[in-house]
Amino acid sequence: MRSLLLLSITMLLGSALQAQLVFPGEIDAPADYTPTRVEMPGSPLSLQVLFVGGVDMVQTTATYGNEAGQAHAKEWHDFIGFTPDNTDESLGWISVNHETIYRDDRIGDGGGMTVFRVERDEITGLLNVVDQTLEDGREGKFFNVDFANTVGETGMNCGGISSIVDGRIWTAEEWFRSGNASINNTSAGTSNYPVRVGSSTNQGVRDTAEWTIDAPDFPAFDGLTIPKYENFNWMVEIDPRQAKAIRKQYNWGRQGFEGGVVSADNKYIYLGVDATPGFWLRFVADTPGDFTSGVTQVYKHDADEKWITIDNQDATKMLNLTDEAVAVGATMYNRNEWVAIDPATGIIYWTETGRDNPGGRWADEASEGAVYAPHHVARAMEQGVADPGTAEYWDYYGRVLAYDPETEEVYVAIEGGPYFEESPMQADYPEKHLSNPDGLNVMTIDGKQFLVICEDLNGETFGRMPFENTAAGAGAGLGIRHRMCELFLLDLSIDSATVDDLIRLSITPLGAEITGAMPTPDGKSLLVNSQHPSTTNPFPYNHSLTFAIHGFDDLTVSSLLPPDVEDNDTFGIYPNPTLQQVYFNDIQDVALYNNQGQRLRVYRNVNQIDVAHLPAGVYYLRSAKGEIVELVKQ
Amino acid sequence: MVISYAPVGESPAGVFLSFYPMSLLSFFIRLVLFAAGFIPLGYALGVGHLLPSTDQMSSALEKTSLEFHQNLDDFAVTLENYQRAVDELATSSEEIRRLHLETRAQFKEVEFLLEYAEPASVKRYLNGAPLPKTEPSVPEVIVLEPSGLQTLDELVFSDEIDRKEVAQLLKKLREDYRKLHQQMRGLKLQHRHIFEASREEVVRIFTLGVTGFDTPGSGAALPESFVALKSLQQAYLRYAPSVGEKAPTVNRDILEAFQLGRSQLRGGNFDAFDRLRFLREVINPLTKNLPRAQAALEIESAGDFNRMPRPTNLSAPYLFSPDWLSAEYFANLTESTQKESRRQLGELLFFDPILSGNLKQSCANCHHPGKAFTDGLPRSLSSEGTKTVLRNSPTLINSVYAEKYFYDLRETFLERQMAHVVADKHEFATDFLTIEQRLKESPEYVSRFAEAYADQPRYQLSKWSISDALSHYVMSLRGMNSDFDKYARGEREIIAEQVRRGFNLFMGKAACGTCHFAPSFNGLVPPFYAESESEVLGVPATKIWENATVDGDPGRIASGRPRDEAYFHAFAFKTPTVRNASQTAPYMHNGVYDTLEEVMDFYNRGGGAGIGINLAHQTLPPDALELTTEEISDVISFLESLDDFEHLNHQPETLPTFPNHPEWNQRKPGGTH
Repeated sequence: MRSLLLLSITMLLGSALQAQLVFPGEIDAPADYTPTRVEMPGSPLSLQVLFVGGVDMVQTTATYGNEAGQAHAKEWHDFIGFTPDNTDESLGWISVNHETIYRDDRIGDGGGMTVFRVERDEITGLLNVVDQTLEDGREGKFFNVDFANTVGETGMNCGGISSIVDGRIWTAEEWFRSGNASINNTSAGTSNYPVRVGSSTNQGVRDTAEWTIDAPDFPAFDGLTIPKYENFNWMVEIDPRQAKAIRKQYNWGRQGFEGGVVSADNKYIYLGVDATPGFWLRFVADTPGDFTSGVTQVYKHDADEKWITIDNQDATKMLNLTDEAVAVGATMYNRNEWVAIDPATGIIYWTETGRDNPGGRWADEASEGAVYAPHHVARAMEQGVADPGTAEYWDYYGRVLAYDPETEEVYVAIEGGPYFEESPMQADYPEKHLSNPDGLNVMTIDGKQFLVICEDLNGETFGRMPFENTAAGAGAGLGIRHRMCELFLLDLSIDSATVDDLIRLSITPLGAEITGAMPTPDGKSLLVNSQHPSTTNPFPYNHSLTFAIHGFDDLTVSSLLPPDVEDNDTFGIYPNPTLQQVYFNDIQDVALYNNQGQRLRVYRNVNQIDVAHLPAGVYYLRSAKGEIVELVKQ
Repeated sequence: MVISYAPVGESPAGVFLSFYPMSLLSFFIRLVLFAAGFIPLGYALGVGHLLPSTDQMSSALEKTSLEFHQNLDDFAVTLENYQRAVDELATSSEEIRRLHLETRAQFKEVEFLLEYAEPASVKRYLNGAPLPKTEPSVPEVIVLEPSGLQTLDELVFSDEIDRKEVAQLLKKLREDYRKLHQQMRGLKLQHRHIFEASREEVVRIFTLGVTGFDTPGSGAALPESFVALKSLQQAYLRYAPSVGEKAPTVNRDILEAFQLGRSQLRGGNFDAFDRLRFLREVINPLTKNLPRAQAALEIESAGDFNRMPRPTNLSAPYLFSPDWLSAEYFANLTESTQKESRRQLGELLFFDPILSGNLKQSCANCHHPGKAFTDGLPRSLSSEGTKTVLRNSPTLINSVYAEKYFYDLRETFLERQMAHVVADKHEFATDFLTIEQRLKESPEYVSRFAEAYADQPRYQLSKWSISDALSHYVMSLRGMNSDFDKYARGEREIIAEQVRRGFNLFMGKAACGTCHFAPSFNGLVPPFYAESESEVLGVPATKIWENATVDGDPGRIASGRPRDEAYFHAFAFKTPTVRNASQTAPYMHNGVYDTLEEVMDFYNRGGGAGIGINLAHQTLPPDALELTTEEISDVISFLESLDDFEHLNHQPETLPTFPNHPEWNQRKPGGTH
């Protein structure tokens, strides 16, 4: 009899789970119910807005015939550099990239950077933007970095280099320009189109006259006259203290640069190039710290000497670096983005963000002698296609790569994805998913080294994420998790890390793309940019802005991880009360009710939910089994 | 709370078979014990809280899921047959066309769920518009050539079928579908998916289906819509008994609408099809009642609790409800309790020439409320009064309903739209710094900003708050409540016959509604309403009807957005709304046409292609529409029935004063013309 009952229970359970449970629209809160509360420390992290793009004012130099004055800062914040202050006067200088090509009478056309100096308020722990007077007489809090009057306009300032040695800053001019029309925004390809400088159709760089390079540091370039557009797409060093550009690094070559690092011995610069093919480049200084003379090299994984020198005394070769890299058969990657270095080990990491179907983009270069990175060859084999140059080859998710200067080997630090042949619903979908990593840095938390990874999604076709989390799914109110560009931490001591090892930092505002993650040298804060906010976040979170996440010094590795919850039969939620996440004892369907007993939302197949957006108060959660528990939102 | 009971009907037959060798008494005792055992179990499972129709609902979901996966498999087979036939030289053109229609019909069976689950893949690979696009999220302009069923539709129904190209496209389509199909195998549907996908498809059928949008070659719009509607009906019928128990009227209305829809679509003639009747009798009851049925069954819905704003309001019952589109979503402004004071402040700023460099121009100079917020000029006068700005002044009424702003779609945020006007040397010719400084000299402005932006002490009177206030005003300029709207949603029972004919032409033979999508009648693409389209029409520089020259304005390609730098964006302009068009002459981005008759004439000839402008990438079909004079006049009657602007025709009588600048106090509300 017992076995009979057991059998029927099993069968009934099976069919009950098969059936789609419908949660009643209203419930009665149990009258004599005493909630079980598991108190857990809340997150120590908090936000502070530092700099709002397009709204805060920057101090400008005399530009285009206008006197020095002020202007509203540019927008589209991307990279953040940090230059520590060696005196006790302040914490240091923050440099912020503006990824634009935009006309501005006072700041200068194209993109740009804004710099400001911060100090730590020892009592509140907040950062104060301090008043400064610069050598050129400018006074104020925020300063426009003068490019137009120094090295020529800049543009599409995406990533950059923030030296771990001494805080020197370079900005990367990413989006590759192939003609004057493409900096002037009249690139229809023929000269028939009207150019109305100053009219609303022309937001581009107004001065497209030929550019004569004035760079005594680089004899091969000094005095050379080039089309204006060729003065874009370099790495550009700036002085964050005086808010002016120092030099375009003509000796590192012209590429769609995205990011880079300086090695701990101040001798090597490693550079990421956002293109397919993108090459892994470096510059080796003759004298550490002097990056005006040395050799420029490209990586070739299958050569005996893996770094091949390209003559940087030949201006033509530096202007056409891609051709040179192909000619020497360099290793090709699929859109290299930001580069970061772990000072503890000297290992260099970079994001290879991926591109859906790169085949058509690098097959030609392959036939001319460039070689595919070995992990792409292996992936192509797995997918059953001839090589990564075939049209069918796909690379949806990208990955983080690592380069060990000791062995000169490149390996995959963490693979994006995971990819499923059959797209699972959230029931079977992993909690974490890494798509198209872009921004990257290394941070020390609780004595351990972490990679800070920012996503920038390329797309959502072919079920690469569960449909609840596609734009349409999110629009339908089903979910948002993977549509959002997330900020992850990865413990660098983990060998063969997978996406399961990622730790999500869920403090960032909803719907904002996060970039520029830069820790402050005191380890207390992470500086981030919100780039293209697109929701009705409260002002200023609906703008491009730079903000600080404080409290990392109070953060322990264990407080970053979800509670270790036992999988038992009783419906349990942890922590309670909560600010942000609620974890359940098991993956299940759960409905959220307000204190009136009205159903707010049903979550299917979840073991945690984010309630950060709920007003503080009492709520109820009902499990599929009908158990009701009280949830307190702080 | 409901007391739980044991759902004996759930017991599988296998359990009873095992009783066979027992005595009857033993069987009954055991049965009672067995049933009793269910009581705590049932309680523990919470089955008692469920609705009586849970079994029916579960089986409805299961059957629809099975059918969906079966249909996906069938589509793969149909595609394979289609491709094999095309590869066979002996296959006749007629046979290819027949197979094409069969394939499309098979797609229409799964369209509602596939579009719901994988809209991005369907658009990019299966049934997207037959136009080139650029690859998203890469730092360069890579043109992706069109592929998929719509592209095939054009090719297969052209006079001479290019078999090689058809074969290539089919190969690609099959490969793309193979990947998608594989992914879809893991899809487990939920009740809400069925209902929400169905409602989405109802909107798709009306806006993209019966208008012929995705059947550019075959014209099989009505038969395909029939299949799509039938697939919805089949899915619904399985839930109908459950809905009937809970909400009999809702259920009856839905069943009737499906029945009527099928009979109206069956054997329908594309040109003669009465789309207005179809809207009122079929589409309206479905958009209204499907969410009600869902709610009656206590199935959760996207409308329950919104974390992210959505383009459409799920609570709006009809496509032509004034709040079908959510202005808040498009305006994308910061949430605030001070919305009304922000709007009022914005209205004041809109009419105040204090914003312009020369203190003479206000927004209203080019956007006059008496002219439905246009200015009646081909191109607006520039600030210095002799030259003109680049383009025709568009109406601001309903302008909020857009993904991007300006004719060249250069701006994504309504809030930043103003910055372009401020900086433009031909418009306000100033900068925000000047504007901020000026406004701070008016105690009245300062106090109004302080009130409206009290929650933002650091940015109370700033570039942001000025732009935000103006955006609140522009967002409030809405007119979706015309005589036609009222009739369309059943609030009025009488409409002029020529308006009915005009609407049916607009959405059918005249092919207006395939770019000016309902209900905003601009380029906002249904059913998601999240993307604004631009079109290449070949608008002439001057009003001549033969050997004309294209207007030199490069349009979208020069928007300044690097991603727009693709050849097919040359001469492309945003699709404006036709609402209030009777008030907004002259027309087109350059104001080349003075009357709606002339505009209709232009389209009737096939746009630029019909007047000697041959742009290879014209997106408007180059064929003549062959509309008669009477038909043209019908379409114009319909356009006139969309007028809804009078309630917005007002402006402030006085403006705030500046104690230190008596000369500024002479300025007039609305500026000096």
